[in-house]
Amino acid sequence: MKKLLVTGTAIRGLPVVTLDGGEDVAEVRDLIYNPEAGRVLGLTLNKRGFLAGRRREVLPAEAIHAIGRDAVMIDDEDRLSPPEEAPDEVGAPPTGRDVTGNEVLTEGGASLGQVKDVVVLVGSNGEVVGYEIETASGGTGYIPLPNQLAVSGSALVVPDATQDFVEHDLVGLGAAVDDFRSRLGLK
Amino acid sequence: MSDRFTEAVGRRLVSRASAEELGNLSHLVVDVKRRQITSLVVGKGRKATVVDWDKVSGFGPDAVMVVDESALRSPEGDHEQAAAGGKLELLGKRTLSDMGNELGPVSDVVFDPEKGGLETLVIGDREVEASSLLGAGSYAVVVRAPADAGS
Repeated sequence: MKKLLVTGTAIRGLPVVTLDGGEDVAEVRDLIYNPEAGRVLGLTLNKRGFLAGRRREVLPAEAIHAIGRDAVMIDDEDRLSPPEEAPDEVGAPPTGRDVTGNEVLTEGGASLGQVKDVVVLVGSNGEVVGYEIETASGGTGYIPLPNQLAVSGSALVVPDATQDFVEHDLVGLGAAVDDFRSRLGLK
Repeated sequence: MSDRFTEAVGRRLVSRASAEELGNLSHLVVDVKRRQITSLVVGKGRKATVVDWDKVSGFGPDAVMVVDESALRSPEGDHEQAAAGGKLELLGKRTLSDMGNELGPVSDVVFDPEKGGLETLVIGDREVEASSLLGAGSYAVVVRAPADAGS
């Protein structure tokens, strides 16, 4: 099945909207990403509106109903939690987790390019299914991710098969994710 | 028989007791959880008044009959103030699926003029059962994702 995907850049700035109230209670400031797990663990937030500043609360992934193309949906405003009440990984995430700029190397030692952004599955609560990369030739490509990755902080290692699945756009990646995972013997 | 928000807005309200015209319907206020019209807003701006649904004696095609003039009251509380100001109006409001994808603005709401129950939301050329309505506020109307949402 074709998957609908969205980049991390597109998620930043999305309104956080309550399902029951239809209110935009915050907007996404940034993603708290765990590259080993291939998951967004949570979101940091800004207040909603022009020139509004940072909101202290964070939004753990478990409290997210769905990340969409146009909004991040939550059940109600109580889902936002002060950092000290959130899991440590979200409330006080370790630094050095930013994969942007990391080199993508296959197990066979081929360099596919550098990570520009994460690609998130629309409708999930933060499942990262791929990366946007800048290829060696300077173009933009999209690669699917397996469930587990070796990540060093400067490079990440992907299966050799990834080479065959470098897509030119998100639509292509959406169609390729399942094929890629079944080729790796994942579901 | 069903009625539609787009047709009902602008309809005159008339007192059954005195046959006086009381003003024109500007907004229908909805309890999203119950999928029910709870009150009507008459007039606009600071002069807007509210009529509770149970004071409506006949929601007709040409006029909305209310029991008498005392049915008109000032909006009370934040929710009614917002409703009277049109901030909670469903018509024209952006719709989000619970998956966080925009479906377009609400172009009409079909309701039962006898009981005030909502029947269908019209979103672009898509019709969504009122039972899919999850929430509505100043930012968006939220509906359970139709099967083809996001495609």
